[in-house]
Amino acid sequence: MRNKRIPPVEGFFRKNSVLSGLMVISPIIVCGNTVINALALIYAFSAITFLSVMAGSFVPKKLPYGIKIIIYAILGALAYIPVKEAAEMFFPGVIDRIGVYFMLLAVNSLITVQSEVKFYKMPKGKMMLSLLCHILGFDAVLLIISAIREVLAYGTFCGRIVDSDILISGIGMPFGGFIILGIACGIYRYIAPSGKNTDDFGGDSDVFDY
Amino acid sequence: MQNKTKSQRFIWIDIMLTLLTLAVMNFFYCGIRTVVLGGICVAVSMAAEIISLRLMHRRFTADDLTCISDALILFLMLPAVIDFRMAGIACIFAAVAAKNIFGGRRNMIFSPAAAGYVFLFTSWKGNLLMYSQPHVHTGIFEKAEHLVNSASSIFNTTGRIEYTDFEILMGNVPGPVGTGSILLLAVSAVILLLRRDISAGAFIGTFMGTAIPAMLVPVCNNSLESLKYTLSANMVLFTAIYIISDKRIAPRRNYYAFFYGFFIAAFSYVLVLTTAKENAIVIVSLLFTPVGLGLRNLEKKIDGFVKEEKDAVELWEAIKSGEYVIPEDEEAVYEE
Amino acid sequence: MFLITELVALLASNLILTQALGTSTLFIAAGSKKNLLWTAITISVFTTLGAFGACLVDSLLPEGMYDFRLLFYVLIIGILYILLLTVLYFADRRDFSTTRKYVHVSAFNCAVMGTLFTLSDRADTNMLDYIYAGAEAGTGFIFAAFVFTAAFSRVNSKDVPASFRGFPASLVYLGIISMAIYALN
Repeated sequence: MRNKRIPPVEGFFRKNSVLSGLMVISPIIVCGNTVINALALIYAFSAITFLSVMAGSFVPKKLPYGIKIIIYAILGALAYIPVKEAAEMFFPGVIDRIGVYFMLLAVNSLITVQSEVKFYKMPKGKMMLSLLCHILGFDAVLLIISAIREVLAYGTFCGRIVDSDILISGIGMPFGGFIILGIACGIYRYIAPSGKNTDDFGGDSDVFDY
Repeated sequence: MQNKTKSQRFIWIDIMLTLLTLAVMNFFYCGIRTVVLGGICVAVSMAAEIISLRLMHRRFTADDLTCISDALILFLMLPAVIDFRMAGIACIFAAVAAKNIFGGRRNMIFSPAAAGYVFLFTSWKGNLLMYSQPHVHTGIFEKAEHLVNSASSIFNTTGRIEYTDFEILMGNVPGPVGTGSILLLAVSAVILLLRRDISAGAFIGTFMGTAIPAMLVPVCNNSLESLKYTLSANMVLFTAIYIISDKRIAPRRNYYAFFYGFFIAAFSYVLVLTTAKENAIVIVSLLFTPVGLGLRNLEKKIDGFVKEEKDAVELWEAIKSGEYVIPEDEEAVYEE
Repeated sequence: MFLITELVALLASNLILTQALGTSTLFIAAGSKKNLLWTAITISVFTTLGAFGACLVDSLLPEGMYDFRLLFYVLIIGILYILLLTVLYFADRRDFSTTRKYVHVSAFNCAVMGTLFTLSDRADTNMLDYIYAGAEAGTGFIFAAFVFTAAFSRVNSKDVPASFRGFPASLVYLGIISMAIYALN
């Protein structure tokens, strides 16, 4: 399975990290209830993940697995600091609302697991493309789910009121995030060609081989 | 198999009759609006069920009419004056998210009515817990006025119900459309228990789980009054009959079902006592779903062991009597 | 009565059911009951021992360097990661290839990191409170693992529509349980 040639762009849809791999779902469930929160998360996730994975590609491959994972996590934590400073300028107030989930993005599965299992086995150019596709895939899912939840739960879109007769406040809560994400995963599997592959859980199962 | 199907359909018919009786009773208290509300709940549930089954590539059969009983159970827990759209959305949630996503009636995990109610509770708590007075008939398209807290809410906060025993028995108190008439509920419970339509173990467990704490740690000064009001308030009796004792959800063996019902009731009593949580038993019954599932898994395992043992005994007797001849390559195994 | 209110408080602060932390790890480990149990225990060890380090960091780190908390927490977990792997290697060399996977999966995940970040809100500044809160978080994960295990065969049943079988149905299941916990509060 690991030797099979995988097109790098499939990280956007066919092997979407959220809907197919069920990775990095906590921020979507808890904080992905408004578009503004989603934009802040998208910015943070994209910047931190891209910088950390690219920096981590220079870590020597010969190091033991455990040491490499720690280095990747440290790189994520270091990338977090400037990203957070910039976020406070562009998204004032949102960081407080997102809270701990902003920091947790620095140790997401794409950085600590997928990088070793998937990205660093590819040539640099392909790796960058695959990484970008995975990031964009997460961003798209987060944006869509947040938009749906904001309209249904709060009757707004990007903070602007929309003409919504009835508001279901439960959709904006974490349990609403669980349910909406579960339904979204189900719909994704129905329409995606390889979405039904329950064995291929984001490659994290490969961790058990190390 | 045919007998099992027939008995399930008879169970459904019995439950429907008792639910319809409660609904008719409520029509006299709250007027035509409750009929429309009930109709909307049933229609929406049926539509959701049909669409879900189509998407699952299954045919809608007579057995799928259980969606109507689930809709009626949910309807009877609602205030008569609730917005129709809220009721409809709750019915869709109950039918789709709590039931059909998991495979429908063949693989029940949650009580759809309980899930729908808790969904309403978390999304529209204010609308759910305000009621009109009995005999105040709100028109179908009118906005309800002079809404009050339920008798259960007043009981939870003050420890008293300011209504006579007769009014409590008849359900002539502000509260959900079908859960207040204690006399009707008691009669329904007796009928359903005698006809084995609900789990006796779960029902008795719920009753004991409410009665024992109510007498040991009474809400009011008097233990008997505490018992009387605790059983009458907070939809305890209604939930015990139609949700906790639901044979699709409760453990099959009465022994396990008893403890399942007992702990749900005791847990919810403590919540009422400490936090004055209204209708806590419905929420707790949903929360105890993993316990019910765990007990069912245990029952399956026990059934599996019993069957294995029985098969082994039958095989041994067949060997002794000569009906079964051991194949040559397996002789060593049997000798051991 | 006290036990029940404590249980409600424990449920309300549960990492997975109310804060969705560690859900992915739970699903990874849910493939077998043995995996799930040992992963849950390993995570509890990380949260409890990590709480010790988190207390030190929170008490020693100046206020102006708050942004570096994440870095120090990562270092703490990294040290614990190496220590646990070393202990496992010397304690049980024969099964090391099997047992190390639990440490790999449990180290850097939202359950552990999220616990360290929420400790300062849940505990006072003394060490014992931190360790207690860390152990409580780990216990909550074990509890959520049991909740999930109870329904595992149901959400993976053949009766569940193929599109929803497994993880999607599991998410909805956890969502409804989470909804009930939310309603209790």
